[in-house]
Amino acid sequence: MGHMELKSAEAAASEPKVRLKPEEQELARKHEEQAALQVELADRELRLANLLAELAAFERRYLHFVASRYAELDEWKARSAEQFAHQRPESERAQQAAAEARARATETQSAAGEDSSSEPRVFHASPEMKRLYREVARRVHPDLTSDREDRIKREQLMAEANLAYERGDEAKLEKILTVYESSPESVAGEGPGAELVRAIRRVSQVRSRLVEIEAELQDLLGSDLYQLKARVDEAQQCGRDLIKEMVSRVEEQIFLAKQRVPNPPSFAHQ
Amino acid sequence: METREKSSQQQIVHAPSRGLAVRSAAIVARGLRDLTRESNWLVQRVFAGHSPYLSISPAGHACAISSSVRQGAERVALYDIERSSSGVILTVPGEASARLAEGRAMFAWSPTGRHLMAAWSAWPPELHAFDLQSKMSLGGFGGFSSFPSALTWSDNGKYFAAAFSRSRDAALRLWVSGPESQNGMLCAGAPAQQCSLADLTSLIQRPVAAESGAVPYDEAAAAGFGRLAFNPAGDILATAVETEGEWADDAIVLSQVPTLVARRAFLVSGHVTDMAWSFDGSRLLFCSAGQAYRLTAGSAEPVALPFGAELCACHPYLPLCLCFSSWLKNSAKGRIFLADLNKLTVLDEHAASGVAALRWSLDGSKAYAVTADGLAYIYEPPLL
Repeated sequence: MGHMELKSAEAAASEPKVRLKPEEQELARKHEEQAALQVELADRELRLANLLAELAAFERRYLHFVASRYAELDEWKARSAEQFAHQRPESERAQQAAAEARARATETQSAAGEDSSSEPRVFHASPEMKRLYREVARRVHPDLTSDREDRIKREQLMAEANLAYERGDEAKLEKILTVYESSPESVAGEGPGAELVRAIRRVSQVRSRLVEIEAELQDLLGSDLYQLKARVDEAQQCGRDLIKEMVSRVEEQIFLAKQRVPNPPSFAHQ
Repeated sequence: METREKSSQQQIVHAPSRGLAVRSAAIVARGLRDLTRESNWLVQRVFAGHSPYLSISPAGHACAISSSVRQGAERVALYDIERSSSGVILTVPGEASARLAEGRAMFAWSPTGRHLMAAWSAWPPELHAFDLQSKMSLGGFGGFSSFPSALTWSDNGKYFAAAFSRSRDAALRLWVSGPESQNGMLCAGAPAQQCSLADLTSLIQRPVAAESGAVPYDEAAAAGFGRLAFNPAGDILATAVETEGEWADDAIVLSQVPTLVARRAFLVSGHVTDMAWSFDGSRLLFCSAGQAYRLTAGSAEPVALPFGAELCACHPYLPLCLCFSSWLKNSAKGRIFLADLNKLTVLDEHAASGVAALRWSLDGSKAYAVTADGLAYIYEPPLL
């Protein structure tokens, strides 16, 4: 629908001057406003998608390399506490300490996820990917329609586009664009009065979404994950691999923790 | 790996950003904290204002009097030390709303940190019990005429003791506590056992005066009961018997639990400021007049340790003790430090002043110290 609206706005500008009715003048202004907002919305959605994808990739990397070591460290700490509790069955505190240490090890393991030998998937967006995503957001964004069924369709396509962008799937983005452009939902209809109401609503929806995006961006930029990523990125610019340094530090602790459990008893959960 | 991929898909789809870090939030925070800290000590502010009366739970919560939580009026508030946040204000029926410049408070956390016993000048004069799990005030018990000088729970949670100072009302009271898993009131009614100063002071005089030739203990100068500490087995209660006068010497009495019959007594040098049993119950550590001492089962009198301390807290299962000293020789600066109780060496230390409470976490993996001005020191060495 957005595509057709843009065309009509451009066409109106190139046609010979005719006296427009007040509602038609207002509609033209709304179309211009919407067109400008569409561009801004596409840019902001791209920025959000980019940040989300970068953080998700960083999270995968962190979980794969660092969190897995934390899980190993906590496992050894739990074994050490359990061995101590095993040697002191009369000590209620030792039993409690062992239970606490085991619970923490389980929690860390759960957060770290299953161990995998394969490298975590990285995220890289080419200029063409960015262009395609921006185009999809500009044309298919669900906040650019006031039709309920069309919105559902757009939400589905936008979700697919987000996923395709995060995965670097250019072909999928092209396909989403083509599918929507050729669908009957992309055709505008009815008179200028109804269209004006729709245009006003669409502009309002887009503005609301822009506010939402800003809030989401601020949340992400204030998150621990972003803070950690920023530190890692900053160190990288100085030639340091902070993730590697963190891994080394935790591995030293694992080495020492292992030494505290020289003769581990048999554990039911091993 | 499959799990991670699924997670990423969910995050990337047009969804609120909060979904991004749900699973990894704690472990990301851990990495960030490890990255920023330069020692085993993490220092952060927990509350604003000044509260000399505070207590730390083994779950890392601090209970303190605060005037910053609600419209300048003083309240008993709980703070999460690690998150530097306040969440709960404790109130009881009949709480006075006036500001209490001279107010006093005393708190004791249960061994698991689920329950709290508290007394505060603005509350009716009795001990008030709270269940922090269900966030409920359980009611009051053990009414008093003089404010308690110490409250403590045995490590096994079976006993709860309260000490009261101030001349004629001085008393040591012991309640048998219900299991922590139980809902509702754990202690109620009259204490299971109680003793007065007169029950203990005669025992203080004899062994000390006879063996060391020191000045005999003046029973009339005994002002009341101070610090309390159950041994880990919960069958001995160490009690400080306070003596009037700034430069007077207190005594420590070891009583049988639950009878409170005194078995041994020692005069110490100066006023006792803290006591703690080693994890195996073989040693009682105490601090008096800024010096740390050790009392063992076989020793006739306390032995001074090679470091000063005013507060001490023993590790739950290792021969380690966290100590605070407000004055370090040659520097006049305070420090928190870890002492190896076998080698009697200082392992790790951090400059600090005004620390009002110390506590180890339940699993012994970290320790907390909080100052009266709301600054927290979290000790988290990699290998505990």
